Amino acid sequence: MRITPADMDALWLSVKVATVATAVAIPVAFLLAALLVYTRWRITPLLDGIVNLPLVLPPVVVGYLLLLLCGRQGPIGEILSALDIQLIFTWKAAVLACAIIGLPLLIRSVRLGMEQIDPHLLHAARSLGASRTNTLIHIILPLSLPAIATGSTLAFARSLGEFGATIILAGNIPGVTQTIPLAIYDYTNTPGGEQGALVLCLISIAISYVMLLLNEGLRRHWNRQH
Amino acid sequence: MKNTALILSVICAMLGFNPAGSSAASIHIAAAASLSYAVKANIAAYKKIHPEVDILPNFASSGALARQLSSGAPAHIYISANPKWMAYLEEQNEIEPHTKVTLLQNSLVFTGLSGAEISGMESLSGLKRIAMANPASAPAGQYVEHALRATGIYTRLQQEKRLIFAKDVRQALLYADRGEVDGAFVYHTDALLAQHARILFQVDPALHPQIVYPAAMTPGGAESPAALDFFAFLQQETARSIFRKYGFIVPPDSGN
Repeated sequence: MRITPADMDALWLSVKVATVATAVAIPVAFLLAALLVYTRWRITPLLDGIVNLPLVLPPVVVGYLLLLLCGRQGPIGEILSALDIQLIFTWKAAVLACAIIGLPLLIRSVRLGMEQIDPHLLHAARSLGASRTNTLIHIILPLSLPAIATGSTLAFARSLGEFGATIILAGNIPGVTQTIPLAIYDYTNTPGGEQGALVLCLISIAISYVMLLLNEGLRRHWNRQH
Repeated sequence: MKNTALILSVICAMLGFNPAGSSAASIHIAAAASLSYAVKANIAAYKKIHPEVDILPNFASSGALARQLSSGAPAHIYISANPKWMAYLEEQNEIEPHTKVTLLQNSLVFTGLSGAEISGMESLSGLKRIAMANPASAPAGQYVEHALRATGIYTRLQQEKRLIFAKDVRQALLYADRGEVDGAFVYHTDALLAQHARILFQVDPALHPQIVYPAAMTPGGAESPAALDFFAFLQQETARSIFRKYGFIVPPDSGN
């Protein structure tokens, strides 16, 4: 069992990418979950389907579509290059891929939380003159925090394992975009790489297991309070 | 009841069983991904002569295939893009050493969208992003690394993070073809598949070890007359001209 400096780089990068991806996904997931729970627009069911797609699509599809969108010739890519922002082949691309892959898990969890909120509280707030935005920020947000926390652990764990979308959008550059799963992939493709692959697999299992325990712990803690 | 029988037979068909009787000979081939088009074309040509034979190719990176074979995956013929993986299987007694041949050779090119200013290795230092297959996992990347080191620019390009490591050659080609990078090192055979990118220069073969595709039969394959026949076919003129059509170099004497 020996952890090389390159393994440490991959570990550190994975944690950084997963943390930032989860942080980026949280506000988006909160707003989308609120839309899905509290609106009855005609496009609401459509939106529901779209936000859940990354959960079931092959990640390589998500990565490829993101490459088309954010590449040099893509519509978003052209805006980015006009602003002189380099996204593809940087760690930010890994963050984007992980955030989108983790988003449905986060939304599902936050939605469940919002559906538990007593509707009378919202009625009371509205009838006492609070605006929709105020209700969202001062009533729904604090009551959704436990659900956001549980969802975040899941999204974080999922981000740590992201491979398919990351390898297309961010490439596999050691020290820049090579996260743990990509490093494991390299080891398995190298004769004699069994040892290195196994070390990273164990690290990966350990972190993921801790995140799942944390998720379960938070869920129970929150259920007991109700 | 009719429905049950129908469903059962559909499930059997999906699982590959043939309850009605034993099927004709089937040959399993494990071949490096870069060979997919050429091998498929050869299978089609062979099936014209022997329509009764079922040939099932499995395309993946040479390393993934070698690991599958050493874990007991069924295969009669293994064609690798990397002599190292062939040696790995030889050590594990998963191939018959006397059947080993150098089936094909390939060459490296630099491909990209942009124009005339890139004409050789010396002009690479002016580029911002160069895609190549990852040398840690893909043989193509190892040849490129070798050539760049021989030119004396590898360390600098890597330190300045100008090398974009792709999963394999095809992904490097995708980046070049879409203009995400200034250019990519790919096999000549892959460059021929590009939609937009064109070959900007050929890499001098003296800069890297020869790119060879060794092929061999597994112990199970050497016992199957159908597999032996197809293996021989791959080394005959019909197959050789198909491989040439896809850009491969066929060694003058492949039956060594």
